[in-house]
Amino acid sequence: MAFSLTVNGNRHTVDVDSDTPLLWVIRDELGLKGTKFGCGAGLCGACTVHVNGQPARSCSTAIELVDGAEITTIEGLSEGGNLHPLQQAWISEGVPQCGYCQSGQIMTAAHLLANNPSPSRDDIVAAMTGNLCRCGTYARIVAAVESVAGSVGHYQPGQEGA
Amino acid sequence: MTMNRRDFMKVSTGASGSLVLALSLPGCASVQTGFEPETGEWTPDVWLELNKQDEITFTLARVEMGQGTYTGLTTLIAEELDVDPARIQVKFAPVAPEYRNPFIGLQLTGGSTSVASSWQPLREAGASARLMLVMAAARVWGVDANNCRTDNGRVLHPNGVDSLRYGQLVELADKEVIRGDVPLKPRSEWKYIGKQAGKLDARAKATGTAVYGIDVELPGMVYAVMTRSPRYGGRAQSFNRDEILAMAGVQAAFITERGVAVVAGSYWKARKAQQAVRVEWDFSEALDTTVDEVFEGYRKAASEDPGEQERSEGGVDEAISKAGRVVEAEYEQPYLAHAPMEPMNATAWYHDGGMEIWAPTQAPDLGRIAACRNSDLSPDDVTVHTTFLGGGFGRRLTQDYIEEAAAVAYELKVPVKLIWSREEDMRHGFWRPAMLHRMTASLDGADLTGWDHQIVGPQVLDWYVRNAAPAQYPWAPKFLYNTLGKVGLMVEGLATPKDVSAIEGAIGYPYQVPNVSVRHTHTDPGVPITWWRSVGYSHNGFAVETFMDELAHEAGQDPLEFRRKLLAREPRHARVLERAAELAQWGTSLPEGRARGIALFQSFGTYVAQVVEAGIENGEIRVYKVTASVDCGQVVNPRIVEDQISGGILFGLTAALFGEITFNKGEVQQSNFHDYRLLQMHQVPEVVVDIVDSDEAPTGVGEPGVPPVIPALGNALFALTGKRQRRLPLAA
Repeated sequence: MAFSLTVNGNRHTVDVDSDTPLLWVIRDELGLKGTKFGCGAGLCGACTVHVNGQPARSCSTAIELVDGAEITTIEGLSEGGNLHPLQQAWISEGVPQCGYCQSGQIMTAAHLLANNPSPSRDDIVAAMTGNLCRCGTYARIVAAVESVAGSVGHYQPGQEGA
Repeated sequence: MTMNRRDFMKVSTGASGSLVLALSLPGCASVQTGFEPETGEWTPDVWLELNKQDEITFTLARVEMGQGTYTGLTTLIAEELDVDPARIQVKFAPVAPEYRNPFIGLQLTGGSTSVASSWQPLREAGASARLMLVMAAARVWGVDANNCRTDNGRVLHPNGVDSLRYGQLVELADKEVIRGDVPLKPRSEWKYIGKQAGKLDARAKATGTAVYGIDVELPGMVYAVMTRSPRYGGRAQSFNRDEILAMAGVQAAFITERGVAVVAGSYWKARKAQQAVRVEWDFSEALDTTVDEVFEGYRKAASEDPGEQERSEGGVDEAISKAGRVVEAEYEQPYLAHAPMEPMNATAWYHDGGMEIWAPTQAPDLGRIAACRNSDLSPDDVTVHTTFLGGGFGRRLTQDYIEEAAAVAYELKVPVKLIWSREEDMRHGFWRPAMLHRMTASLDGADLTGWDHQIVGPQVLDWYVRNAAPAQYPWAPKFLYNTLGKVGLMVEGLATPKDVSAIEGAIGYPYQVPNVSVRHTHTDPGVPITWWRSVGYSHNGFAVETFMDELAHEAGQDPLEFRRKLLAREPRHARVLERAAELAQWGTSLPEGRARGIALFQSFGTYVAQVVEAGIENGEIRVYKVTASVDCGQVVNPRIVEDQISGGILFGLTAALFGEITFNKGEVQQSNFHDYRLLQMHQVPEVVVDIVDSDEAPTGVGEPGVPPVIPALGNALFALTGKRQRRLPLAA
């Protein structure tokens, strides 16, 4: 079946089974490999993207449920080649170890800051705790989010993507 | 690849040991060195390429799985080459004898050896290349090379005005011959080593552009999934092939050594079709055990077989028989999964008589063996492209997933990406073995006079030698592969290194006790096992350091004091113990409902002491703070050391709190992160990592953070509740 969706500002039509998870459409039909497969069951958060401005586990979101939606992936987070402040913070803080979960971590954090530009530490932990990291980078993630809290008010879910 | 040894030999002879490994190998070098006029590229050794455009590429022979080789090893060569590490492009090494890990004899990343094994060779390689560039510049200027300096990719003229870029010198440098040893920079002149610096792969990993195995994309690629026997060792006899082939999008379905492969044009179509696969299994050689039976078997073996004597000092039996007091305890540890965030996967393409593999693997030369095992190919027909690894922790030392992808690709002759689901990762792993420990000690008043440690369980090499032995001798004919494995085990400890995977950490018992016995009762219940972050240290750390705590309690002594007085001859142990205790304010009062526990363990040459502050809230164990002191010799990148130790601590806490793989009649009972839990952000304690300043040679940090945290937490819970924790995972 044909479905249309706007990913990072670009409109695409894909012809896939209606129960195909959004994750595999993004990765294998559109070739955006930054969004990762971790558990296939919405348990780890590695596949987190924004669907109409809301964080979603793309591994457990059937394409038929997001037909016509606006999707933002890690590739769309940086506008015009400029890194999102969170991505810059991830680099400055040296957050990633293996790095595999970090796209999902950053997408979750980006949504948090879009809705709560100055989160407390408890807010950060509450928003991020569903994203697993096997390497144990949690403390650096918190530090990175705190380092940009308050400075990303310009980032609005409705204006995501380039 | 054409062979060209001319300059390789020249550089090698001058480079004082930097290429000892390559030179020690028979046959010709497989990495071409020298200057290529067509490309303007100079390859002074097997590690570096410099070109006329001032681009510098470093070949990384230890894979990057989060432990920081990408940054750390690049820093080593950059320091001596005298360029900012951020200017260096990093590429992952192909399989070649030159890239073997000299500590292991295989091209393998594990055992926390990457920095330690690269420390000397990479600095020497960088220094040699730099010296040749300096000599070339000096010749151009007609000055003494000893009076030229370098700075971030330039050679500086003694006049303080002129300079030449490395790129301008590469062609000339190739003609320079180094005589004698190449001096290395003293520590006082380091610009990059030991300095707080960023991670060279952070940008790629923060922007989603780092390429992991699962991200590999090839033209015309198809997707494969594998239905494996629910019980290890079962074999597919037949399946509903016609029905599967008739399903939408399915391109192929067939039986392999590893199970039933289903291939489709997309991952999801393959996965959906797999749900309809019905297999007749031959379970005649399949695992049929439950975890309870494993431990029953261990207890029986422990009683019947005193085990191989692995360390013996004094007379433990006599000490125990004469002792005023004998203390005994038994510890149990479960099977554990690695659960790296990137599920197992590999991409394979059989074309033009050769097999190409793209995979997140910790041992690409073993991957070659796995890829050719079930076909008429030889290892030389297999090319392995290593990618970033989405975590490894030892799981990706075992190459079953490469074997599977290669088997499917060999049949289809188109590029195939084979991806495991998380459920398959949980159910078809190779585990950290379940282990049993029987401890007996004698106390004479408050003095520990005898220590007897009986370790009961399998050892990893029995399972690992299958691919490791042929990888060590890739020129051996394939019909010998199984024999090589068997011979490898027969001569283990004689012609090959002794397998210490079951006893490491126990034989290194550091406390000064007159009578010490460490024994291993080798028994293998047939459950597949492999290396798991910190391996034998992970279970011996719990047994040794919990029992030490029990003995301190029995002796009526403070656990810190009890250990400290037995470490008079072990200054590095004693120092980290004292520093951790001091930083954690050992002995000071804590809020109601909290207690501290301490543990000390040396692993992979690195000394780590930890103090855990814990409590129990609403029936759940809470860890508030972990304070670690670490002595890993000289530090290449302080941030990465801190990350590896704190990451190891969370890895250990995950095991201590949740980790348990169980079997019922041979089937794994866990399936995903809901029943094999990982520590989440809201459960993470404050972690303080103190690094001892040292002039010793660097040791590893990827694993040593894991072992002490498990007993330290158990000991804290004992201090809190008076109930001793002798089984993992810990119980509130």
